[in-house]
Amino acid sequence: MTKPRWLPSLALTRHVLFAIVAGGVAGVLFMVFLIEFDHYTSTAEFCTTCHSMKIAENEYRQSAHYRSASGVRADCGHCHVSEGVFAATWDHIKGAQDLLKEIKGKLVGPDYDDPVINALHAPEAAFAARRQFRANDSANCKRCHVLDAVVGKRPDTAAIHREDAKGKTCVDCHMNLVHRKVPDERTFKRDAWNRMIEEEFGLAPGTADRLMKE
Amino acid sequence: MSHPLRSAVVFPCALVVALLLPTPAGAAKVTLDKSHWGHEVGEKCVSCHQKASAGLTKQWEDSVHAKVGVNCMDCHQAEAKDADAITHEGYVIATVVSPKDCGRCHTTELAEHQGSVHAEAVSLIQDKVPSLAHTLTGVAMEAAGCAQCHGSVLKVRGDGTLDPSTWPNSGIGRINPDGSKGSCSSCHGRHRFSKAQAREPSACVRCHFGPDSPDKEIYEASKHGMLYAAQRDEMNLGSDTWVAGKDYSAAPTCVTCHMGAAGKLPPTHDVGMRNMWSLNTPVSQRQHLVVFEDGDKRELPDSMEAPKRGTEMEKGNGTVGKVKAVATPERRRQAMSSVCLECHSKPLVTDFMKQFDDVVLLFNEKFGAPATAIMQDLYARGVLTPQPFDEPIEFTYWELWHDEGARARHGAAMASPNHAWWEGMYLVGRNFYGKFLPQVREAAGKADGDAIIRKHLADVAGHAWLAQPQRTNPILGYPPKPAAPAAAEGTAP
Repeated sequence: MTKPRWLPSLALTRHVLFAIVAGGVAGVLFMVFLIEFDHYTSTAEFCTTCHSMKIAENEYRQSAHYRSASGVRADCGHCHVSEGVFAATWDHIKGAQDLLKEIKGKLVGPDYDDPVINALHAPEAAFAARRQFRANDSANCKRCHVLDAVVGKRPDTAAIHREDAKGKTCVDCHMNLVHRKVPDERTFKRDAWNRMIEEEFGLAPGTADRLMKE
Repeated sequence: MSHPLRSAVVFPCALVVALLLPTPAGAAKVTLDKSHWGHEVGEKCVSCHQKASAGLTKQWEDSVHAKVGVNCMDCHQAEAKDADAITHEGYVIATVVSPKDCGRCHTTELAEHQGSVHAEAVSLIQDKVPSLAHTLTGVAMEAAGCAQCHGSVLKVRGDGTLDPSTWPNSGIGRINPDGSKGSCSSCHGRHRFSKAQAREPSACVRCHFGPDSPDKEIYEASKHGMLYAAQRDEMNLGSDTWVAGKDYSAAPTCVTCHMGAAGKLPPTHDVGMRNMWSLNTPVSQRQHLVVFEDGDKRELPDSMEAPKRGTEMEKGNGTVGKVKAVATPERRRQAMSSVCLECHSKPLVTDFMKQFDDVVLLFNEKFGAPATAIMQDLYARGVLTPQPFDEPIEFTYWELWHDEGARARHGAAMASPNHAWWEGMYLVGRNFYGKFLPQVREAAGKADGDAIIRKHLADVAGHAWLAQPQRTNPILGYPPKPAAPAAAEGTAP
């Protein structure tokens, strides 16, 4: 049977060979780029190129995830960027919104570089992060922590994880491990939070409410 | 609703009225039906807490609470809007269980405790804390010292945590985030909440101990304490009802006299109700107990006229309330004495109370009142700065009434001769004459000091002996032995 003329020839011509090789190399290079990009952009070094993230970094540096006894150190991305190149890329695209806010804050709206503003908005950031952890069943925790391997320091820690953690995801119990302590969304009280921040930064009562409106 | 004891103490012939009422014989029984407890998720806590905090879980498992189905959530439940609400394993709870929480079932005890000296323990020291805890020592002492007995003003921080300068705390007058005052676990050890434990004198000892309120030591040194120590196993401490003279007669404990049921006298969680005197003041006063419509109470010196029922009166906190009832000092003494009568005869009780009252009056007239007047004089003349505790005499005066003066009066109240005398009034006398008066002269100068002392002591009969320096007594070696003749020395071998 003769091939219709309108079909491209499948013959491995030089052009075709070139296209395949070039496309392949480009594809590989692109994937390598994405992997490397996701990898680099998941580091504290990159994240803190935004000034506002320095505040988060300071908290992180005091936490057990930075200075663990075992020598294992979780970096920003280990907790906040999903595993897998596509998911990681998607998270970074979403994360770029924060970059836009950061830039916008220099012109209008809240300037997250300001420690007071940052602290005032911390609860919403925490709630969003927790939603993400719950949505993916604490997948990022599980990159390092394996339920079966939890032993703990107290004799019953392992038994608790084996018997009483059923139907729960890590973040249901383990919150406030790294960043400023924020209560659960259901019991959060904005007014009390504002008063606490005012006290912490020595601001006149009511300042926080005014700043939140700006 | 008026509590039976309140009626008994407050109204004339009230003991008769109380007789007719179906009063509870022990601590009030919870009369609510079971639908009030057994929170649907409360049992879920147990499995994890058996591992995470096995001790407290075991205490609860051994409690009457567990037996009748009162679970963790019955006490620790909270609403998200509560100031101290947190989420824990997906449920909204509160760490602090306030009297209001306990009062969901224990309504009588909550009502009685409200407005009592225990519930008001924070306000009792409010004006003392700045000088003692802040300037004399430091704020760290407020959390670890004062507030552990009197109670902290619990602070919930904006991040939902309890401020460690106010928590942990089980002070009896703790001001809770829900506005209620007190901490039931101050006396009722959590999470066992054993009746027997709360009836033990040790339930009171954590606070009623030490130089200013050595009630533990006084009790132990009294014949009441002697009998208790020897016959503790006959105390029937775990009994359902615990009526003195009926359920036990081996010895009285703190609870017996200050709270317990005795004969026809119903029990109360207003621990100061039966106290006629204020004993921890520079000058003791006989006191009315004014009970307001809303359950608040106020101690009112009987030098002030007792308000009529239904009239309005300022409460301790400055607000105004409607007077529901007034327990006169006599009624309060009557209530206390009716406990004594379970074991003692009426004349003995009356005469014992006279011995006690005489000590209080002696302290008042001879030491408390003149020392206070002298201090006011020194402040008025500008001899002392207004700042407390920056002059030695301020310590002397403070301890005179607050430490040894209180010990003497408590010792007499609870029959420890040693505390009434050596630990009490002897030291009052020693420090008054040996320290306080010399310090008055030191601060004001000899001439002015003598004048001030004369002015305030001249009319007090108890100080007349100072004008008789030639009176003799061999106690300190007077008269001196005549010197031995010189010749005698030579004859010695």
